[in-house]
Amino acid sequence: MKRDGIAFWTGAVVFLAAVLVMTQVVGNQYPFFAGYVILQSIALAVAWSILGGYAGYVNFGTSAFYGVGVYASVFLVSAFGAPLPVQILTGAAIGAVMGLALGLLTLRMQGIFFSIATIALTIVIETTVTNWRYVGGAAGIQIQRPAVTPPFDSYVQMLFFVQAVLVVLAVAISRYIHNSWIGRGLQALRDDELAAECTGVPTLRLKLLACVISGALMCAVGAPAAMYLQYADPGSAFNLNYSVTTLAMSLIGGTAHWAGPIIGAILLGTTQQVLTVTISSEVNLLVLGLMLVLFVVGAPEGIVGLIYKLRGNQKEGEI
Amino acid sequence: MSKKSIKPRSISRRRLLATVGAALAASPLGANLLHAQQAPIKIGMSMPQTGGLAGGGKASLLGIEIWRDDVNAKGGLLGGRKVELVVYDDKSSASETPAIYSKLIDIDKVDLLFAPYATVPTAPIMPMVKQRGLLLIGNFSFQVNSKVGHDMWFNNAPWGPADSWATSYLDIGQKAGGRSMALLSADQEFAQNLAKTAREVATKRNLPIVFDQAYPPNTVEFSSIIRALKATKPDIVYVASYPPDSTGILRAVNEIGIGESVKVFGGGMVGLQFGAVMENMGSLLNGVVNFNTWLPEKSMYFEGTKEFFDKYTKRAVEAKVDPLGYYLAPFGYASGQLTERAISAVESLDQRALAKYLRENTHKTIVGPIAFSADGERKETAVLQAQFRGVVDKNIEQFRSAGKQVILFPDNLKSGELVAPFEAART
Repeated sequence: MKRDGIAFWTGAVVFLAAVLVMTQVVGNQYPFFAGYVILQSIALAVAWSILGGYAGYVNFGTSAFYGVGVYASVFLVSAFGAPLPVQILTGAAIGAVMGLALGLLTLRMQGIFFSIATIALTIVIETTVTNWRYVGGAAGIQIQRPAVTPPFDSYVQMLFFVQAVLVVLAVAISRYIHNSWIGRGLQALRDDELAAECTGVPTLRLKLLACVISGALMCAVGAPAAMYLQYADPGSAFNLNYSVTTLAMSLIGGTAHWAGPIIGAILLGTTQQVLTVTISSEVNLLVLGLMLVLFVVGAPEGIVGLIYKLRGNQKEGEI
Repeated sequence: MSKKSIKPRSISRRRLLATVGAALAASPLGANLLHAQQAPIKIGMSMPQTGGLAGGGKASLLGIEIWRDDVNAKGGLLGGRKVELVVYDDKSSASETPAIYSKLIDIDKVDLLFAPYATVPTAPIMPMVKQRGLLLIGNFSFQVNSKVGHDMWFNNAPWGPADSWATSYLDIGQKAGGRSMALLSADQEFAQNLAKTAREVATKRNLPIVFDQAYPPNTVEFSSIIRALKATKPDIVYVASYPPDSTGILRAVNEIGIGESVKVFGGGMVGLQFGAVMENMGSLLNGVVNFNTWLPEKSMYFEGTKEFFDKYTKRAVEAKVDPLGYYLAPFGYASGQLTERAISAVESLDQRALAKYLRENTHKTIVGPIAFSADGERKETAVLQAQFRGVVDKNIEQFRSAGKQVILFPDNLKSGELVAPFEAART
């Protein structure tokens, strides 16, 4: 294993250990509620960037995948009383199939046409769920959590840890893709799809793979949300806000490196949580809007791009 | 031997302050000043201030704020403790409220909780408050406690038993000679809950449902739906819709007509309670029988009602909320009154004791007496069914006077008789 690989996995183990210790030491529940939302944002942004960042296919369907994950759990709990790991794995499997279907149907479109198709996907799935009475339909459904599994004292602490595991999984996959031939292929097709195709890059297969992985991760992230809220309704589960904020997080962080979406999600997700309990009015929308404008103007390549640029300038200065 | 000079003991500044402080504390004035220094009673809540529910949320919050100001002007509660509200914006979303309520409970350490306006943001916090054994005053959510079964939940809304809404409307329709029903509902949470109970009540009464259609949210063009509905020649048309749809449906009915057979039209149209929508619709409202929660009819004024609306009308302009504020604001105030009565009676903030008091007594409020059943909903429904009469175009002030919405149900608040059929009442 290379040195940076050892550093990454050491970091991941330390992170998970810290999260586990936190669940055992911290008695106050609020950090887990707020932290869960931030971790969820990180996992979604990382999953999004696999297709949206590396391949450059801007996907507005995050809320569709996330919502399907939520409702997969709702169905499994209502029908079979399935435990959390089964909900997440089933969610991931459904997300993978959905990603493949979305890819096959829409990946021949490019640019804005692909993005519009992904918005349509959200609307189609939301309408279907709205008319599916078994999972509550338009009225929504309340679900009861099962008993918490040791060593956790509360279900939210357990969900916080599970979401941390999903974050590590998503980041590890994203990092692997970034550093492997898949990432180089996706980068090539993002820069010029025709040229990449001519030089032998299997563009459609790579895009499908990115769709499948991204979709599976987003659905898996959505699955525990049903247990977090203990309630699901189509309006909340398929809220377009998930698509918009996930995209914004990735763009603010930067899509050129696997760490970009993590930085963006931590920054934006934490800011959102802080604003919700501080300014807590229409003004927080204004603050977020201003933040986006500032980053688009000041750092169009995101924070990672800005860091690269500053480093580049430094090196030039040294020479 | 040197003589020690003995200086007369001068009083130090610290001693002087302590003496004055003790004297003040002993005096009635001092007692009041000390009470004023007591920690406030913190009431925490989230309220939709952005997003789809913001209009209602802001009006409801203004009602609660007026109560806070009133109770603080009277000297507060529990011997002088002022009431302080801790309010966060939940963006009308269910996903925001668990973290917000956890912050209110675990970080802000509020003494009491009010629920956010509406069902969707409230639903996720029900298991949390049940698990922690906390009292929660509900705010216009619908049957949110039916599955959870929390015994410290008290909804301020006048809904009452789940089927009472449909029962009262169908009673009016059947008394007017209705023998069949058409059901038109939005494919959204509240409308579907209404539609479900309407189907159940109609089935119990062997009332044929000749038309039953749910339309997708954001539908703007209703002419084809209204034509299809009209073709079935129903006697009673029960509509469960949201504000944009309600206006679209009424415009389509105005253009196409609904047929001579229809005795009553309306029932569950959300939006026709809001000043801006009512002003916008004007005379198109005439004849519609629809639900409401408070109306300026003589029978609806209780102790403090008029004073509340005097204050609300002034503050609504500044707060940029519904200038009429009949639907939600007085119930926000009533939530405060329920809390005030319970705290004053129990003389503590013990949540179990407060819940017991609320459950076992009838409480006087500005929206009338409130008594709760075991599930925390009203024992008896106080949802009004009222018919729009003599409404003219573009005049919001007309709705402040009695007679524009004649109350047909409940009987104890009734202010007039139904004019039927619907087409006759429209003129």
